[in-house]
Amino acid sequence: MAEVKPNYTLDERGEVCPIPDVDTRKKLKEMKSGEILEVLIDYALSKERIPAGVKEVGGEVISIEEIGPSEWRILIKKL
Amino acid sequence: MDLGLQGLLVGIIFGVLLQRGRLCFNSAIRDVKMTKDNYLMKMALLAILVETIGFQLVAQLGLIKLNPLPFIPLAQIIGGFLFGMGMVLAGGCASGITYRIGEGYITAFVAAIFFGITAAAVRGGPLQIVNKWFGKPITTTNNPSGVYAATDGKVNLTIANLLNVNTWIIAIIFAFLLLVVILVWKTTERKVTGLNWIWGGILVGLTGIIAYLSQKTYALGITGGWVNLLRTTTGNLDLSKGVPYNWIGMEVFGIIVGAFIVALLSKEFKLRMPKDPKTFVQVALGGILMGFGAGVAQGCNIGHILSGLPHLAISSLVFTVFVVAGNWLMVWYLFERK
Repeated sequence: MAEVKPNYTLDERGEVCPIPDVDTRKKLKEMKSGEILEVLIDYALSKERIPAGVKEVGGEVISIEEIGPSEWRILIKKL
Repeated sequence: MDLGLQGLLVGIIFGVLLQRGRLCFNSAIRDVKMTKDNYLMKMALLAILVETIGFQLVAQLGLIKLNPLPFIPLAQIIGGFLFGMGMVLAGGCASGITYRIGEGYITAFVAAIFFGITAAAVRGGPLQIVNKWFGKPITTTNNPSGVYAATDGKVNLTIANLLNVNTWIIAIIFAFLLLVVILVWKTTERKVTGLNWIWGGILVGLTGIIAYLSQKTYALGITGGWVNLLRTTTGNLDLSKGVPYNWIGMEVFGIIVGAFIVALLSKEFKLRMPKDPKTFVQVALGGILMGFGAGVAQGCNIGHILSGLPHLAISSLVFTVFVVAGNWLMVWYLFERK
């Protein structure tokens, strides 16, 4: 897959539930169509919940990549 | 088998299921409102359905006496509301912060310690005076089919003994209603790497039944376990005297152990710390509200919701309503307010 360059990055590692989900949704609401958001998380429940949660605010998860022990990098596109 | 050892084993199973199912009642209640996501709520409802039938069955077979929690109206109203708000601040319900300790969450540990200390202070500690404000439990002498545990002929209130009808009738109506909700309510899509909601719900429900058969006096709980762990660990440092850890104390310890083992195996263990130190203050405050709420209300989201609703206990029904109200108010205040 071609490397996608994110416009914004949120580092949500270590944050308490559900801050990663809330911040991601908040950021997506402000973004313009076509922009990419990169979210770094270390919370498995957020990894599973974010794909469904961002749809409501016009986002779509394009990739989820494991970057370390219980750490993931999620790329989300604003539709 | 030694009762403490049984509690430990049940706790380990419960901890494994909580971690793999990612079952947190704070998330379950919040997600229904905030993101219209019902995945964890359906898992919880299914577990309650399994227990509703299971508890009846084992009581009918004479293996246990049903022991609904005492109904103290103001305690469950105020306690439930404070508990519901507290768990949003703490980032997890009583079971959620317990199993997340096993995953390496420092904030969960801080919240759990403040929760346990406050609950211990309310239950027989320096804050026990507050229980006087809430009054005495309302009881009944009705004991349909003799399935309920009675003290001097008094039984704690449930829908069945309030109406004085066979407990099976109420249990079957409730289980049927839950089944309808579960079947009709479309499940939110989720790619899970752990247990899905169906397996999670069934296995947690079965664990609740095993817990009742093992502990005898009640099914799963959290609050009493933290109180026991903190009190015996800090109160009896003389090792020549046996340390009286009880079933529920060992169960809570087992949850942490079970969650830790399975988090390690699934490569989800990691020591996690928030970047902003203010978060520690927030989770500690959440833990205190939860400890006070669960302390006066006689139970938390496990004692009252997971274990209490299957009894159709009036106390647990009232507590649950006010937990949801407190949770939704705090979710609105923290995350949805403009």
